[in-house]
Amino acid sequence: MAGLYVKPGNKERGWNDPPQFSYGLQTQAGGPKRTPLTKRVAAPQDGSPRVPTLETSPGAPPMGPPPLSSKASRPPFVGSCPPSSMEPTNFPVVESEILLEDVLRPLERALEDCRGHTKKQVCDDISRRLALLQEQWAGGKLSMPVKKRMALLVQELSSHQWDAADDIHRSLMVDHVTEVSQWMVGVKRLIAEKRSLSSEEEANEEKSVATTEQNQTVPGIQHDP
Amino acid sequence: MATYLEFIQQNEERDGVRFSWNVWPSSRLEATRMVVPLACILTPLKERPDLPPVQYEPVLCSRPTCKAILNPLCQVDYRAKLWACNFCFQRNQFPPAYAGISEVNQPAELMPQFSTVEYVIQRGAQSPLIFLYVVDTCLEEDDLQALKESLQMSLSLLPPDAMVGLITFGRMVQVHELSCEGISKSYVFRGTKDLTAKQIQDMLGLTKPAMPVHPAHPAQPQEHPSISSRFLQPIHKIDMNLTDLLGELQRDPWPVPQGKRPLRSTGVALSIAVGLLEGTFPNTGARIMLFVGGPPTQGPGMVVGDELKVPIRSWHDIEKDNARFMKKATKHYEMLANRAAANGHCVDIYACALDQTGLLEMKCCTNLTGGHMVMGDSFNTSLFKQTFQRIFSKDFNGNFRMAFGATLEVKTSRELKVAGAIGPCVSLNVKGPCVSENELGVGGTSQWKICGLDPTSTLGIYFEVVNQHNAPIPQGGRGAIQFVTHYQHSSTQRRIRATTIARNWADAQSQLKHIEAAFDQEAAAVLMARLGVFRAESEEGPDVLRWLDRQLIRLCQKFGQYTKEDPSSFRLSDSFSLYPQFMFHLRRSPFLQVFNNSPDESSYYRHHFARQDLTQSLIMIQPILYSYSFHGPPEPVLLDSSSILADRILLMDTFFQIVIYLGETIAQWQKAGYQDMPEYENFKHLLQAPLDDAQEILHARFPMPRYVSTEHGGSQARFLLSKVNPSQTHNNLYAWGQETGAPILTDDVSLQVFMDHLKKLAVSSAC
Repeated sequence: MAGLYVKPGNKERGWNDPPQFSYGLQTQAGGPKRTPLTKRVAAPQDGSPRVPTLETSPGAPPMGPPPLSSKASRPPFVGSCPPSSMEPTNFPVVESEILLEDVLRPLERALEDCRGHTKKQVCDDISRRLALLQEQWAGGKLSMPVKKRMALLVQELSSHQWDAADDIHRSLMVDHVTEVSQWMVGVKRLIAEKRSLSSEEEANEEKSVATTEQNQTVPGIQHDP
Repeated sequence: MATYLEFIQQNEERDGVRFSWNVWPSSRLEATRMVVPLACILTPLKERPDLPPVQYEPVLCSRPTCKAILNPLCQVDYRAKLWACNFCFQRNQFPPAYAGISEVNQPAELMPQFSTVEYVIQRGAQSPLIFLYVVDTCLEEDDLQALKESLQMSLSLLPPDAMVGLITFGRMVQVHELSCEGISKSYVFRGTKDLTAKQIQDMLGLTKPAMPVHPAHPAQPQEHPSISSRFLQPIHKIDMNLTDLLGELQRDPWPVPQGKRPLRSTGVALSIAVGLLEGTFPNTGARIMLFVGGPPTQGPGMVVGDELKVPIRSWHDIEKDNARFMKKATKHYEMLANRAAANGHCVDIYACALDQTGLLEMKCCTNLTGGHMVMGDSFNTSLFKQTFQRIFSKDFNGNFRMAFGATLEVKTSRELKVAGAIGPCVSLNVKGPCVSENELGVGGTSQWKICGLDPTSTLGIYFEVVNQHNAPIPQGGRGAIQFVTHYQHSSTQRRIRATTIARNWADAQSQLKHIEAAFDQEAAAVLMARLGVFRAESEEGPDVLRWLDRQLIRLCQKFGQYTKEDPSSFRLSDSFSLYPQFMFHLRRSPFLQVFNNSPDESSYYRHHFARQDLTQSLIMIQPILYSYSFHGPPEPVLLDSSSILADRILLMDTFFQIVIYLGETIAQWQKAGYQDMPEYENFKHLLQAPLDDAQEILHARFPMPRYVSTEHGGSQARFLLSKVNPSQTHNNLYAWGQETGAPILTDDVSLQVFMDHLKKLAVSSAC
């Protein structure tokens, strides 16, 4: 699924630019949350500043190393560690080459399926964008994460998992907009058209099943009309 | 005290309401002597995952001047199927659908735990959400590219039946006609000439043809496809063409000579946007999203001329009355803001530039309509990109968090009146028995309009106790308030959220201790702060500080325990102990101190302060400081220079910035690379802990804060040093006799000095 990662902000344009969360991480419902940092300490009523429990010696302290790591001295955290790391997650599966064909063929097939149902201009527009996708992929302009997620998207589309496919398209638009913006909207439309075509087909199927059932009344068995 | 804290928290979780006083002084005279007004912080659409909306309409009191909603405080006669309104005591018949109710079969809205109920309105057509993008093209190449990509991305985040439109501007203003056919057309307007709404609508061909109005079928926007479709189209039809159109946008073609600013016609562009929506979708939820990369430099609403050598106004200029364009520009945008608000449309401003962009003049557009104000350095930063993405964030049901076209109505029992509200709203000028003559904030009304809001939008609502002194405490001993919010949910359903609360009255003469114990110092601090910031918009800064100080002294005189003329005897009870500290930090905050901030920055900070919920508002007033060390788990520490120690890492959250500061020793260890050595793995964990906590904050906050990672001696340490209480300065370093903590180079008064003065004044009989 979409990667869960955080990458640094654009330090060239904003020295204090915050880190950027991936779409997957952003949409995560929350999970085990660390305790929110909202506590305050009241100032002492008598006015003197609080003396901290450990006095550091005045002047330049002789700098020794930090305390050695041991089970006892490990500081407990406010909450549990979040699952995300600061680098892009590595997929545990051995990375195999993702073929352009494996992604493009199912998309083209889906487009063919829609030809009867969708306006010609829209189909042409989608087709134009698929050609753009092919060109960019073959030209080596697309990064590995984009190719991986497109492969997943195509899988979901073929299994009629419209919402999942849609979510992957969104994650690609959010995380990799520069690479995908020119053609992704075509894929988005294709998912939408396939979805509506498929629900039409289902509706027709139900109707025809209902009529055949009506014609096949078996004595003793109740049918709902 | 523990029980009151729980009580306060439970009520906030359930109803989204926090009161300054939870036991109410029963007479007007006594209430004014409390110093802090009776007021509440209300989050009308607080997220309640445990509260499913009910699929029927609310039952209303039949008295025309009342119309309160049935609630758990009402007396019910189950046999006679009657209920008595707790606000006006009218007896009402239950509607036929309630024939089956009984003591054991209560409708949800009568059960005590349902003090907040959300109703879904079934009838009426549901109009789509509308988004109108108004885009400045006088940007640098890579900024424009980044902005275009963000807009293209947003098309994937919007729901398929949302309507979308595009206006671009630079020297001229272009209204793009969206069509599915190949050729894209646009209407071009000069950026120098303002037009009336009617002129704009005529020129765009939006004048409605005369249509016979059938009484049963009121004209809906979607019944006039020929009018609305040219400039505003549904996403599912137009996304591909609009993606291409956005992709083809070029920088404003007019060349910018050396030493000049680009000619940017923001005023006219916004005027056309407001007029376009006024003419096509009045009284429907809509967002105008204005993206600017610099200040308006021509036409109505211009904020600075095009000569670079004449800088944009600073606070100094404004004080010296040297801001030529300010009054006129502010007036222009106020006019647009009021028109947009009247139509239920909200205006967002996304301003990304290294210099000011005129947020001071344009702020009414966001503040009156509930729109967002986002300020960044460039559109090519994660701060802008992520903040923009978060506008389209969804809740646990997969619905957008944004809501539109809300009306908030407040009803009170007769001992109370409504004095006003402070927040992202406009008055609806609804007079009535609940409306006080004394105004605090936006007053003179019991209803306000909030055109754009989300689950964190929060208003401060101020009340007046009107019971006469020595009048008996009302029967039942409780006062009640009902908050009713009508709004358009992002799923396009219309909904009503009703919250009804009650609190006990108490006689301040004999029961002051009870009133004291029920004081919510956090809510009080935020409510007083909102009042202060509201005043600061129209009064001189020093006057506001003097007012704030006077209120604090009076509060301490009333509720402190002390012997007269003996400052060292002064004590405050637990329920007041944090309050002076909040006031101290508020006085130093960017909301009341404009020194060191540009007018745009001050406007930006004040904008967010006036709409955030209590927890975030407190963070803004008094930033949170947590300390990480080997001495134990991370702990909150005093926002004080004595907390800055060599062997600690500090995490400071000011709401607008997250600062991670490494103490001197920690920084040296990091430089030496101990975190990479396996035997010092716990040091690596120590360095990581504040980063993980910071990430937790960054994950959810809107807008994205700036992220400062610094250390002892670093130039960016100034963010931390300017916020902490300077208990040690170069002036008093040797007076304390110890050298813990870092001295701050400042002449600012410290909390200790502040408290000393406060105590002296509070115990003095001269005041």
